[in-house]
Amino acid sequence: MMLASLIIVPLAFALFIAVGPERSAARVSLVGMLATLGLSILAAFAFDWGFGGQFQFGMSVDWLPGLGLTLSLGVDSVALMLVLLTAVLGPVCVLASWTAITERVKTYYAWMMVLQAAMIGVFAARDLVFFYICFEFTLIPMFLLIALYGSTNRMRAATKFFLFTFTGSVVALAGLLYVAWHHAQTRGVWTFEIDALELAARTLPPHVQALILGALLLGFAVKVPLFPLHTWLPLAHTEAPTAGSVILAGVLLKLGTYAIYRFVLPFAPEAVIEYAYPLAVLCTIGIIYGGLVCWVQTDVKKLVAYSSVAHLGFCMLGMFALNHAGVTGSVLYMLNHGLSTGALFLLIGMMYERYHTRSMKEIGGLGARMPVWSTFLVFFVMASVGLPGLNGFVGEFLCLMGAFQASDAWGAGLWGTTPGDSTVGGTRGSLGPWVAAVAGTGMIIAAIYLLYMVGKVVFGTLREPPGHASHADHHAGDAHRAAGLPVDLTRREIGALAPIAALCVFLGVYPKPVLDAVQAPVERTVTTIAEARGKPKFRPPVELAPPAEHAAEGAHP
Amino acid sequence: MSDALTLAQQGWPAAFPAVTLAHYLFVSAAMFTVGLIGFLTRRNLIIMFLCTELMFQAAGIALVAFGRYHLDFSGQTFVIFILTVAAAEAAMALALVVLLFRKRETLSADEWTEMKG
Amino acid sequence: MIDRIEFLWPEIALFVTTCVVMVLGLSRRIESRRMTALVTGLGLIIAGVLAARTTPIPGPRSGQVLLPELIPYAKVLIASVGSLLLLLQAGTVDRAEEAAIAAGQRPYDPLRTNRAEYYAFFLFSLTGLMLCASADDLIWLFLALELTSLPTYIMVAMSTGRARSREAGVKYFFLGALGAAVFLYGFALIYGGTGSTNLNAIHAHLAAHGLNLTALAGFILAFLGLCFKIAAVPMHFYAADVYQGAAPQVSAFLAFVPKAAGFISILLLTATIGWSYAADAQGPLYTPITQSAYDALEGAVSMGLPEPIRVFLWVIAALTMTVGNVLAILQKSVKRILAYSSIAHSGYMLVAVLAGPNNGTFSQSGLAAVLFYLLVYGVGNLGAFAVLACLEGRPDADGEPAEIEDVDDIRGLWKTRPLLAWVMTLSCLGLMGLPPLLGFFGKLPLFTSGLAAGEIVLVVILGLNSAVAAYYYLRLIKASLIDPPSDADLPATPTPFATRTLAGVLSAAGVVVLAFVGGGLMDRSERAARYTSMMAVAPPPPPRKTPYVPGDDTPFPLPIPIGAR
Repeated sequence: MMLASLIIVPLAFALFIAVGPERSAARVSLVGMLATLGLSILAAFAFDWGFGGQFQFGMSVDWLPGLGLTLSLGVDSVALMLVLLTAVLGPVCVLASWTAITERVKTYYAWMMVLQAAMIGVFAARDLVFFYICFEFTLIPMFLLIALYGSTNRMRAATKFFLFTFTGSVVALAGLLYVAWHHAQTRGVWTFEIDALELAARTLPPHVQALILGALLLGFAVKVPLFPLHTWLPLAHTEAPTAGSVILAGVLLKLGTYAIYRFVLPFAPEAVIEYAYPLAVLCTIGIIYGGLVCWVQTDVKKLVAYSSVAHLGFCMLGMFALNHAGVTGSVLYMLNHGLSTGALFLLIGMMYERYHTRSMKEIGGLGARMPVWSTFLVFFVMASVGLPGLNGFVGEFLCLMGAFQASDAWGAGLWGTTPGDSTVGGTRGSLGPWVAAVAGTGMIIAAIYLLYMVGKVVFGTLREPPGHASHADHHAGDAHRAAGLPVDLTRREIGALAPIAALCVFLGVYPKPVLDAVQAPVERTVTTIAEARGKPKFRPPVELAPPAEHAAEGAHP
Repeated sequence: MSDALTLAQQGWPAAFPAVTLAHYLFVSAAMFTVGLIGFLTRRNLIIMFLCTELMFQAAGIALVAFGRYHLDFSGQTFVIFILTVAAAEAAMALALVVLLFRKRETLSADEWTEMKG
Repeated sequence: MIDRIEFLWPEIALFVTTCVVMVLGLSRRIESRRMTALVTGLGLIIAGVLAARTTPIPGPRSGQVLLPELIPYAKVLIASVGSLLLLLQAGTVDRAEEAAIAAGQRPYDPLRTNRAEYYAFFLFSLTGLMLCASADDLIWLFLALELTSLPTYIMVAMSTGRARSREAGVKYFFLGALGAAVFLYGFALIYGGTGSTNLNAIHAHLAAHGLNLTALAGFILAFLGLCFKIAAVPMHFYAADVYQGAAPQVSAFLAFVPKAAGFISILLLTATIGWSYAADAQGPLYTPITQSAYDALEGAVSMGLPEPIRVFLWVIAALTMTVGNVLAILQKSVKRILAYSSIAHSGYMLVAVLAGPNNGTFSQSGLAAVLFYLLVYGVGNLGAFAVLACLEGRPDADGEPAEIEDVDDIRGLWKTRPLLAWVMTLSCLGLMGLPPLLGFFGKLPLFTSGLAAGEIVLVVILGLNSAVAAYYYLRLIKASLIDPPSDADLPATPTPFATRTLAGVLSAAGVVVLAFVGGGLMDRSERAARYTSMMAVAPPPPPRKTPYVPGDDTPFPLPIPIGAR
């Protein structure tokens, strides 16, 4: 019930907003988001973190039995942390839209609540089709948020976003359904329960697993986005309203990484092992390419958008390292990126609300004008760069370490080791120090472009867009004065940023609770991979469809 | 019965020893093809309608021939129904053509120009 | 034979209603003439109830041995979608005439009013559609198909006062006659090849002797002719012109009724051929094609239609989806977009026809998928057309109100008519197949049945096409829900018929609500799709367990409920 209420409460609030008056929409929405946050914190307390690898709060209700579709929910520690991330960013987004949204307010907040419910649904789903339904349903609210409240080019951005992700996920659906069908063939039961399908998928021969991998990656890598499929992201980010960008960077991209963590690794382990190297190369290209593109940006928002491409490259690199350090880092990175990049988008939105420009050519030296804002910007840039002591560092370091260790050459006499020597921490895999080294330069590039941005925007001589007041208080007619915004941040805005900042510091200084909590689920994933490594490449085809009464014994591989 | 079957399949009555099922089918197929080609190439609405009638009747000939071949009456029954439907269609076709003719004063299908795309 | 009457009561009820309506429409009293629509509705409801009360008795009594439980489902579906369509038809004909009579400008002249004829044609067509569902004989099927189509030609021609509609009617009629001639010739060849017009007898013949060339040619021609009814590729080109020329409410009718007739006929014919047969081929055309897992399982049974017919339908399905979607993208007119989208939907359904019954469960049976998708598509499409039928432009010189044509005409509906904007949005999202709306649950079995039959390539084509389709549905959603109102001099105003709005709202509500409570409908369609064949059949469906028994098949510890610890 805990999880069901986490989905139902936002939906109910969406309904309240839709039928309620226009004026109170924002306030009702804030209450709804806070209620969701409260519930999720309650869930976090009720959750038994000692058994983080198990799916807790399980529930299952028949939905459409003809299709084998149940509404079954459950979270392990990874999923719960992502639910928490979603719940934390919710109120922040509402606060960020407080003054920015002036037209069709009801529609905006109602869809925001629906989006919140759908995102929580993705993380909480234990039924494949229910997962897919939530995954797809995030498209409509996001499409509308961009298309209705974005900037000039919004329609193109929204359409591109929708079509890219929709196309990808339809192909992914075909892959997932294939697994379900395979399960029905071998077990005689038509079900979409993820646990059951996981086991069935692993009995698939490697070449079929490769097809599944391809289909799933086509769908989920678009969402992440992985390098060649990333083109929708900068456009969508630049055109989206601030809260839209925050949700997009903070949670929606995590849907992709989470789906890869939850489905690709356990469903097609042998194929992932086989193709880990090319995938890691794609990630690395994404890291370097994203970084270099950031370097030449003048639009601050676009810069942060491209930095997401690079950052998620790290996240995926850790995942494809397929070892303990890498996957842990990757999971951690999901949280960290959601916090720090979300906050950066918030800050840029606040700046845009005041100056109506995002071009580094037109603004600069804001440190003098907006000291609080600048402090926060520098702080979150540091977090994003991966300064030790802040949250970005731990995840990034673990991802790179995972990639570094994941080489079959460890223990085979290369890299100065002797065969069988695991004391240096080597794990099996096809990545190795070279990949890590190349990806590591991405960190340096990230430091360069982000600090360069900070240098331009915060420090140096004060530049404000032409026509903008050099002394705002002398020009009462200015847009931001009209919106009731002072020069520097309001308490509402600080209230939105401060909790994120606190979380960043906490996760940076003392990541141990989180690291401990994700141990068990990560261990499970890594074990799956290790088992898959042990399997012979060529094996006789699976025994098909035992009669129903033997189904239970057939389960354990 | 079995005698009659063999006889029919050999092309009875003997007065036309050379006429077999294949001949009827050939005529029917030829009519169908002529009708189809006519429908696709001619532009006069009346002629086009006659072509569809030709195709209907081609099916009728085939049905009668098959009915005789199988010594079964459902083929011939089918033809009666086809004739009825064809009559209904003819009435409708003429009504529609007259309706269009009043407005356009032409019977050419090339005048269908209102909708494009 | 007399037993069959009990399966024909719905048709008989509809026919009697038709006669009553025709007489009522000639009444001098305007109140009586107004009753026609009401009586039509009553007739439909009675027919629906009668159909629902029909007990499907497997066996020759109902006439249908192959699909013994098809009749009740199909007829109830027809009656319910028919009722929605009827709501949409309000004020289609005689609008100006009745207004003039009411205003006392003109005396009542029975020759100038068409109301009764219009509703009579409407009912005749639905009667034909129901008869299609009860058909067990080629003659019957032919007559039923013609009874379905002939009235629609006239309905198109009389739907508006514009020349465009007459043109559309004539075009529809001529191409329809061509289609009819083609499937008629096909029927003749099937009869020639198998020696019977009875579908069960034909099936028995095929089961015993295999498929000969004459019958094969007959089936191919019959499918080709039926492609006209479902607007599938080689015979699709009329659809856009006719839908555009007809009034939107008639287009909605065309998009459902002939299409349903075509699909039911195609299902009957494919059921006659059979999707499964002994693998030790009877006749050269029965070479097994699809290596489904059942091959390995049983060794004796092969799944799939005979290769030539499979290839034929495969190509038609792939082309229909692709052509429909690609052409829809290029259109400006809303009606043409919907017309091409309806072509594409035919392609989707053909995938499931090709897949066949498999093991007969809802998630794998293509027949159930088609029958369920007919409902999904019918409801979604009706909503989209209803929005067009609810709007009109300023009257032109002849007093005929302009129609909603371009996508631009529905811009800014959210501001002027928010209800219609939402109807449009929900219908489009439903047709797009976006979860969690009904369209998704309609499309899911199309995917799974295709996969179960081993048609992986076709399923991928289906998936890609669904993605392409998203583009033009998004255009419609964008226009109605996002764009600011257009400032053109032809603002769309609502038509004065509340029932049309009601039809739209009902179908939009159906798209949402049925997604959550549609389980019963799925079971019904699964039952309706029960296929009994004289040929070697696939193994019976495994007993359906509860989908997930925790602890049954997972080595991982179970979810721990909070209270349990």
